Amino acid sequence: MPVRDEPLPVQVFEQTTAFTPPTAAVYIYGHLPEDRSEHVESWRNANSGTRAIEITSQSSAEIELKIGDASVKLPLRSARQLSSFWSSFAGSDVYMDITGLEHQVWAPLLQTAIANRVSLYVVYVEPAKYSYSPTPTDGQIFDLSARISGIAPLPGFANLADQASTDDWFIPLLGFEGTRLRHVIEHVQPAADRIIPVIGIPGFRPEYPFHAYLGNKGALEETESWASVRYAQANCPFSLYYLLKSISRDRPNGTLMIAPIGTKPHGLGAILFKIASQRAVEIIYDHPVRSKKRTEGTDRLFVYSISAFLGSARP
Amino acid sequence: MTTEPKTELNRLFGLYKAEWLNGQLFELFTEPKYFPDLRSHKPCALIGGRGTGKTTVLRGLSYEGQLAFNKKDYSSIPTWASYGIYYRVNTNRVTAFQGPELTVDRWGRYFAHYINLLLCGKLASFLEWYSLHTKRPVELSAASIGRVASSLHLPAVTTLSGLAEGIKASIISFEASINSIADDNPVTLSLQGQPLDVFTGELINTTEFKGKTFSFLIDEYENFLDFQQRVVNTIVKHCGGAYTIKIGVKDLGWRTRDTLNDNERLHHPADYQRIHIGEELEETFSEFAKRVCDSRLLKAGVALGIEDFFPRLTEEEEAEKLRVREVLGDLGSLLEGAEASELEFARSLPVLEVFSMAAFANAQRIKPVDVLRSAMSDRRKWLERYSNYRHAFLFTIRRGKVGIRKYYTGWDVMCKLSGGNIRYLLELVHQSFSDHFELGLDHRSSIVPDVQTAAAEKVGKKNLTELEGVSVEGARLTKLLLSLGRVFQVMAADPVGHTPEVNQFALTSSGNSPADAAVDSLLRAAVMHLAVVRQAGSKLADDSDTREYDYMLHPIFAPFFVYSYRRKRKMKLTAQQVLDLVQHPAETIKAVLESTGRRQPDFSPLPDQLQLFQGFFHAGS
Repeated sequence: MPVRDEPLPVQVFEQTTAFTPPTAAVYIYGHLPEDRSEHVESWRNANSGTRAIEITSQSSAEIELKIGDASVKLPLRSARQLSSFWSSFAGSDVYMDITGLEHQVWAPLLQTAIANRVSLYVVYVEPAKYSYSPTPTDGQIFDLSARISGIAPLPGFANLADQASTDDWFIPLLGFEGTRLRHVIEHVQPAADRIIPVIGIPGFRPEYPFHAYLGNKGALEETESWASVRYAQANCPFSLYYLLKSISRDRPNGTLMIAPIGTKPHGLGAILFKIASQRAVEIIYDHPVRSKKRTEGTDRLFVYSISAFLGSARP
Repeated sequence: MTTEPKTELNRLFGLYKAEWLNGQLFELFTEPKYFPDLRSHKPCALIGGRGTGKTTVLRGLSYEGQLAFNKKDYSSIPTWASYGIYYRVNTNRVTAFQGPELTVDRWGRYFAHYINLLLCGKLASFLEWYSLHTKRPVELSAASIGRVASSLHLPAVTTLSGLAEGIKASIISFEASINSIADDNPVTLSLQGQPLDVFTGELINTTEFKGKTFSFLIDEYENFLDFQQRVVNTIVKHCGGAYTIKIGVKDLGWRTRDTLNDNERLHHPADYQRIHIGEELEETFSEFAKRVCDSRLLKAGVALGIEDFFPRLTEEEEAEKLRVREVLGDLGSLLEGAEASELEFARSLPVLEVFSMAAFANAQRIKPVDVLRSAMSDRRKWLERYSNYRHAFLFTIRRGKVGIRKYYTGWDVMCKLSGGNIRYLLELVHQSFSDHFELGLDHRSSIVPDVQTAAAEKVGKKNLTELEGVSVEGARLTKLLLSLGRVFQVMAADPVGHTPEVNQFALTSSGNSPADAAVDSLLRAAVMHLAVVRQAGSKLADDSDTREYDYMLHPIFAPFFVYSYRRKRKMKLTAQQVLDLVQHPAETIKAVLESTGRRQPDFSPLPDQLQLFQGFFHAGS
């Protein structure tokens, strides 16, 4: 497909220090126990023009933000309050850095930002490397998650209609953790021939796709879904979006059940697809509790132009 | 064109998950002996682990299942006494009903409304299906439909299709409310259980459904949150007349019997019938499993029965296959110093018995001939001692050697390994057939011991790795099993001088420390997801009390780790040791084994199949 038909509005910065948000922009960010969510400090002190809004606490129900000197709580299942939050930035470009944000925080923020027509950019920083597990097993080679909290809808993304049908498709976006894939398969219980796994290729690093295959080997073999694997660039949400669009076009019936258990850019692509799509799409998320120091260092920084993308993309 | 028996066997035995069976689910259904109990009008709780047949049975009771059993004879539909409506609790739906935005009580009311909409929606779908396939209209008056709509707070409708559409629209609208729950938009909620009473009550007043009943078959009840179980328990308590409830739930998954009313609980047998699949099939599992397998063999056009495919080795035969004679070497050299008559006596003994004498001699650092003489002088005492250790010695013959170190063969052994779990049994059979066919053999020959054993090992490994995904505790359960499996494997390979066949454990510590609470939670998950099985210890225990039980890894894992599947003797572990086996496996395994008098240089090397987990077993060392 020509690039003009499937644009990828991404800016890539080889180092985090090469990126500074525009002076008049709003920059929303948070912290997770990883080096890469601290890169904001590198420009924050130098750049007094950008309005930096720090999310100081995150949960599945609400976030706490520091706006100026004030601390504000914002519920994540309140269309009204989130809309009011976004309207306070009317006219500004908003940069939301999802590196230090949990899925259950950035997903509802993204959804409501789009609904409120915010001029939105999403920022993401790759880690330099992932930590290996001290007690490795088949599906847990890396030490990325302390545990799984359990399957529950992301705030604002609950599906209540009981519409399970034999036409449904299960699309897990794979990371390294086979445990997570097994867990979502156990709950979704898809038919073995209705699974389309997605692996991030090219990966953040050349060897990462092999880790993804190795970590998920057991489940891929047992369901024989290794034969149905599709690929999308690991750090590109838009590539993933187009892949989902292609899958959706070829399979117009049933619900697409997408499990974003791989890279965050892929998770972003899945949520964008869910928001933009007219067909039944369900997001299945297992809410992992991230291990402390699951990654080290920082690598490239990406800026995804969400508004530009949605302006050009058709589901 | 007739399909080859080999291909059919692979296909039929490869279908062991209910969710994979789809159209074949009912074609391959074998009625378990407790099935008639489920058909009664009384509420039922069907309790059993994954793979014990709960989903298959509940779907068998559903209207789709009943039609399949009646060989798609649509004219039979109106003659059925009861209509089952199947619903699997979807975690991704029910967990939307939680959070600090509302109190638990308020969430309870929202959830009760959701259950009303959901079950009434399924009932409406069933009625559409009924009319479509029987060509008989369901004659509900506009007034009746209006009453149902009213009970759900739907806009007025006068037709069944209008009611069905109204329910769907209401669910979509309700979904929007849940997704914006913090906005506290006004939502009109239906009363607990009332719409079900109204809808089913209206139906049994029609000509079509006069004298009939409806069953709501709620599968995976453990996926409800605790307060949600109380909501549905209340429906169970107060259902009657037009409908009943049958639930399918894992062991320990039904976490509360309370209802929404203070001091009201569900009691068995007053309020519901409890059917524990493991208990029901304990004595008859082999027979049930045989019927399940033989029906598939028949379908594949195979004349032999399943037992014929799984011949068993006796202990003696097994010892020979494990090349015990190679290990013993020349008897004359082994029994150096023996008189001719003593040597002759030794040659007359089963070779495993001679091996046992050598093993005892080695452990006691005496000459084998001295053990022989002792055995000859007090034959009864010797035979008692030998009988205690005979099976255990089979694990030592090929200690440290590459290849099979212990055989697992025979139909009854396959049944024991599956521990009453029909899915495990089918996996064992399927894997055995698959490997058998890979060797170029076919359905006319039995499955050799090496293939049976390799298949058992593969199935154990498969289920160990699958454990990772079964629950939020999955990763920890896998690590617990790896550690305990290794402990029992080392003990099995080195039984002399120790209690033989130790493959169970009990907790020693009591109290309310954080370690006790953490291990209680871990063991509950382990039991629920069939990582371990438990049996009441010497003290009587409450169902929820993990402390008074003896635990054993599920026997399906025995061939993978290479220890005995027979429930024999136990060891004591503290709560902290159990947790440390998960978090610090290498050092804790060593410490536990050293507490039994075994020292690390003497630990049996990892069997071939455990080499994959070397990183885990040697972590930190």
